[in-house]
Amino acid sequence: MDKDWSVVGAKLPMLDAGAKVKGTAQFTDDLVFPGMLHGRILRSPLPHAKILHVDTSRAEKLAGVKGVVTGKDIADRKFGIVPKAKDEYALAKEKVRYVGDAVAAVCAVDLETAEEALALISVDYEELPAVYDPLEAIKPGAPRIHDDVPNNISTSIRKEFGKGEKAFEECDFVFEDTFYSQAVNHAPLEPHAAVAQFDPLRGEIVIWSSTQIPFFLRRNLATTLLVPESKIRVIKPKVGGGFGGKIDMFAKDFCACWFAMKLGRPVKFVYEREEVFIATRQRHPMYVTVKTGVKKDGTIHAQRFWAYADGGAYNSTAPLMITLSCYFLMVPYRVPNLIYEGHHVYTNKPVGGAMRGHGIPQARFAVERQLDKIAGRMGIDPAELRIKNSIHAGEDHPGGFIINTCGFAESVQKAAEAIGWKEKRGKLPFGRGVGLGGASFPSGVSNMSHLASGAVVQLGQDGAVTVLTGAADIGQGAETVIAQIVAEELGVRLDDIRVTAADTGITPLDPGTFGSGVTVRAGNAARLAAVSLRNKLFDFVARKLEANPEDLVAKDRRIYVKGSPDQGFSLLDAVKEYRYADLPMPIIGRGSWMAPAQEPTTLLKGDGNFAPNYSFMTQAAEVEVDTKTGKVKVVKMVTAHDCGTPINPLLVEGQLDGSIIGGMGQALYENVVVENGQVMNPSFLDYGFPTTMEMPEMEGIQVITDDPLGPFGAKESGEGTQLAPAPAIVNAIYDAIGIDFDKLPVTPEQILKALREKISKPGTRKKA
Amino acid sequence: MKHSVALSVNGDTYDVLISPNETLLDVLREKLGLMGTKKGCDLGACGACTVLVDGEAYLSCLMLAVNAAGRKIVTIEGLAQGGELHPLQKAFIEKGGLQCGFCTPGMILTAKAALDEEAVPTEASIRRKMAGNLCRCTGYKKIVEAVSSVAALSGKED
Amino acid sequence: MRLPKFEYAEPKSIEEASSILSKEDGAKILAGGTDLLVNMKHRVETPAVIMSLKKIPDLSFVRPEDGGIRIGAMTSLKSVYSHPTIAEKLPGLALAASSVGSYHHQVMGTVGGNLCQQNRCKYFNQSRWWRSSRALCFKAGGELCHVVKKKNICFSSYCGDVAPSLLVMNAKALLESKEGKREVEVESLFTGDGKSPLGLRRGEILTEIRVPRECQEGFSTYIKFANRESIDFPIVGASLWASPDTKTVRLAFTAVDRKPLRARKAEERLSGGLQKSALEEAVRLVLEEAKPVNTSLYPASHKRDVMGLLLESMITKFLGR
Repeated sequence: MDKDWSVVGAKLPMLDAGAKVKGTAQFTDDLVFPGMLHGRILRSPLPHAKILHVDTSRAEKLAGVKGVVTGKDIADRKFGIVPKAKDEYALAKEKVRYVGDAVAAVCAVDLETAEEALALISVDYEELPAVYDPLEAIKPGAPRIHDDVPNNISTSIRKEFGKGEKAFEECDFVFEDTFYSQAVNHAPLEPHAAVAQFDPLRGEIVIWSSTQIPFFLRRNLATTLLVPESKIRVIKPKVGGGFGGKIDMFAKDFCACWFAMKLGRPVKFVYEREEVFIATRQRHPMYVTVKTGVKKDGTIHAQRFWAYADGGAYNSTAPLMITLSCYFLMVPYRVPNLIYEGHHVYTNKPVGGAMRGHGIPQARFAVERQLDKIAGRMGIDPAELRIKNSIHAGEDHPGGFIINTCGFAESVQKAAEAIGWKEKRGKLPFGRGVGLGGASFPSGVSNMSHLASGAVVQLGQDGAVTVLTGAADIGQGAETVIAQIVAEELGVRLDDIRVTAADTGITPLDPGTFGSGVTVRAGNAARLAAVSLRNKLFDFVARKLEANPEDLVAKDRRIYVKGSPDQGFSLLDAVKEYRYADLPMPIIGRGSWMAPAQEPTTLLKGDGNFAPNYSFMTQAAEVEVDTKTGKVKVVKMVTAHDCGTPINPLLVEGQLDGSIIGGMGQALYENVVVENGQVMNPSFLDYGFPTTMEMPEMEGIQVITDDPLGPFGAKESGEGTQLAPAPAIVNAIYDAIGIDFDKLPVTPEQILKALREKISKPGTRKKA
Repeated sequence: MKHSVALSVNGDTYDVLISPNETLLDVLREKLGLMGTKKGCDLGACGACTVLVDGEAYLSCLMLAVNAAGRKIVTIEGLAQGGELHPLQKAFIEKGGLQCGFCTPGMILTAKAALDEEAVPTEASIRRKMAGNLCRCTGYKKIVEAVSSVAALSGKED
Repeated sequence: MRLPKFEYAEPKSIEEASSILSKEDGAKILAGGTDLLVNMKHRVETPAVIMSLKKIPDLSFVRPEDGGIRIGAMTSLKSVYSHPTIAEKLPGLALAASSVGSYHHQVMGTVGGNLCQQNRCKYFNQSRWWRSSRALCFKAGGELCHVVKKKNICFSSYCGDVAPSLLVMNAKALLESKEGKREVEVESLFTGDGKSPLGLRRGEILTEIRVPRECQEGFSTYIKFANRESIDFPIVGASLWASPDTKTVRLAFTAVDRKPLRARKAEERLSGGLQKSALEEAVRLVLEEAKPVNTSLYPASHKRDVMGLLLESMITKFLGR
């Protein structure tokens, strides 16, 4: 693609890389204020119980304790990122629903005292029967976890496109398989944290929070604290990873504000690592049954899904998750007839929430695994089967998606080629194999509110540019991408840009980092703001040059007539002239952007195109299974990735690499192990996600499709690449040892067991 | 009983009054205001709290501050010389060996200890020595590339 | 998590250290801190006094001598495996020491500390709050073992990597107190009691490990099977030493029992020539002696499988040497 860009498309370090390598980048726990107090949260040791009585008297008397709060003290206001699914209190009232549910909080002069105080709080519980398996929880007679949800199904979705069940009669073959994905924890290196301050004169709260959603957090705090949004300012410091786990208000946010208001002093809450594992969020374990009907030639004609998501004790993003899980079965393959039934079920376990892919990895695992099974059963090559069924740009889509660009088929070809598919699939010695997985993801999803992102760009008299954006950079480099977009539009260098972001008191609204919408949504807003600024300057310069503003170009810190670089001004001179003309400074441009839709299209409502564009990718894995020990070594992972145009290839590569390791962890290493509702491995030691030693060789291939709606043609790249590594690896394991694994994770124990059974039951399936 | 201890950190001497049960990590962050060293798990399983003690990579969350007396401690804040970044810091920036940045101080210090011990290590050796530093963002690839690039530089200088 | 409060001592001599240990009921030695401090943060160990040995001279050394190799108890694991004599003559021990935890743990941790580590169990190695979901376990001061659901018994596992390598070398331990010194077999340090895994006398301190000369020849190895290649404790660790004429074979395992286990029945079978043909029976014999229980996330049945696998791998490695 021949684009004459100076900044967009370049591999550039993140704006704050210098601060990060020096250790001066400020994360929430790095913030210290005079007189600051420290808080800790008391959590339920029981999976399901009535709170009969909480006695905080001994804790209150401990020297150094400044305050204690329980569910009884707080307003009867539930919170949740999805308004219709609010079911959680900041501190449990009347009942605890999982081991880890927040019951009380203490605020003290130091952490040691706060910890001691926790042990002095006595809670009388009346234990209730608990249920841990979603399939058990929906049965009549199962313990009811929320009073208003009789069968523990908090959200269901049923969608039908095309002819529904009838379409299966038109198929030549019908296959049905069931799959299971396990609970996975985000495990960001930075634990959840918040620091709050209160100004009693103005009644204003300021909270610094390690969050992905400053504006949603503000809203939830307003609701639960009974304080107007205008009196709450949420500032996002550097965030040490989120992956979806820092979407939602948490007890630490509420309690920091609560105590700041009550005590008039700054208050800090930082979660222990075990709290992050137990009492934040996790990827929903999910049972997915897929019934697929194909024609003789392998064309998918009909699909039907039944999904049960193990939601844990509360909703969090339940309706979003279960809906996404459904809709993204409609890409990247053409499925003309589709029925989907998904249920989000309560259990007395840690809470499921958004995690990189948000319901889609689990569904993707099922689809991609079954595709390989179908390929095997029908004697079709799995790569060809995927290409055959691939959707293409501009096609009519049964769900109403508008797919302007689609590099899926190309991504299958490229990934297969890069892994050596033709030479290796079915041809490697026993124990070695290759496998593929395909996926697609939306670049931002429409929600019920906070649809739009806004930006303000200011050009100062020294040629430096300030960008105000609500975008929440959690380490993926959102601020850098936005800065690159602005720099390109204004013809300046990345060095000339400073970004102020994610401060609800200063920056325009932005939904936050989830659904992979930041580059498209906030990027487009910033682009519009830059263009708006540039137009003002161009109008002025055009008058000076007696030229047409449309004929001007901003590049290399100059503004000039297209084709005649000498006919123009340096940016500095242009600004100086502007200033001398007594025009207001700084020069300001504003922009806001929302995904276009013909009618209010939301996830929860129904059909329609609910993303401005969609990314596509294929992952290919080569594995080596040690048949003696059952250990799987991922030798190489290739991602062929259509993200439209990478604004910053260095950052996109980083997303690919991180996604692959995350997917590998999901496939082989990670599992939140729960026994009687209690997480058995809430530590980095026991929840073993991959280290440098487990890293495979990784290769990323760009498939450029240049999307019309993305800024500079961009689409998402943060989540899509975590959808398919797991099935690619498990498909490769099948190629290696001829065994289908339909449950995650695939551990050495599972492999040894399966190998033993295979030996004792010969003649099951031939290698494809 | 509190102990009066002189800690040498990044070439500066700090006289602190500390209880034996304070870890070096907490003293660095809370008493000395050096926030660059991070607390990822506080139990020694992630490496985010890595500091150099007499040039070696230590988990400061598992070290009593009183035990740091008489030893030379270097935190991430002490790596750059004046305004000049250390080659490892430059390499991490250039190669994109960081995203959220939380594991970065620990990564860089462990890398420094590794390269000080072995100026031109193999990639396998780099990975082995850095395996105690967890990262959830980068997938490690660009981190190892960054460290290798500095090792390659040393190799050339020899 | 804050550490609990304690008195801190830095004795300058073994006599002083031994006196403190004898006098104080709740006194513990602090070596590298990578085991004790974690347990203290979890409040499963709350010694009233912690005694660092770092001011006591001459506890960190590797000394090849005529009678064998002497290793000071406070020698870091990294110093152990980096030492040219150990790397060359005791490769099994080098492998074991370099497999402990992560590189940082090897820098901080000591051979004595690793040897004397506390036993482990998924119900024990958890925070105070976590453990409040059930009755205090026997090891932590209560009555019940949550693994076998019986009272007054503890099945916690010994999981140190270094121990089996020392066991197969019939290594000795030097124990010193203000009363004097005594040399014992490293093997005899371990009681097999999950609650009190170490059998040191009151006031005794492990100061040295002595590896007999004969072990510097022959074949030795250690294989660690764990979830990841760093940070983790072994799911099973296995050591083998064979004399140059292969007439003597010694086998030991870790993380399969309440103490590191010498598999003597299997050794007998394999002595007189390590052959693949004896393998199946040797595996069976090994499994007779080990009694792993479900103290970790990895079921005992899996540990038993892995024990056999590791034995096979070690013999294969031996045959291919």
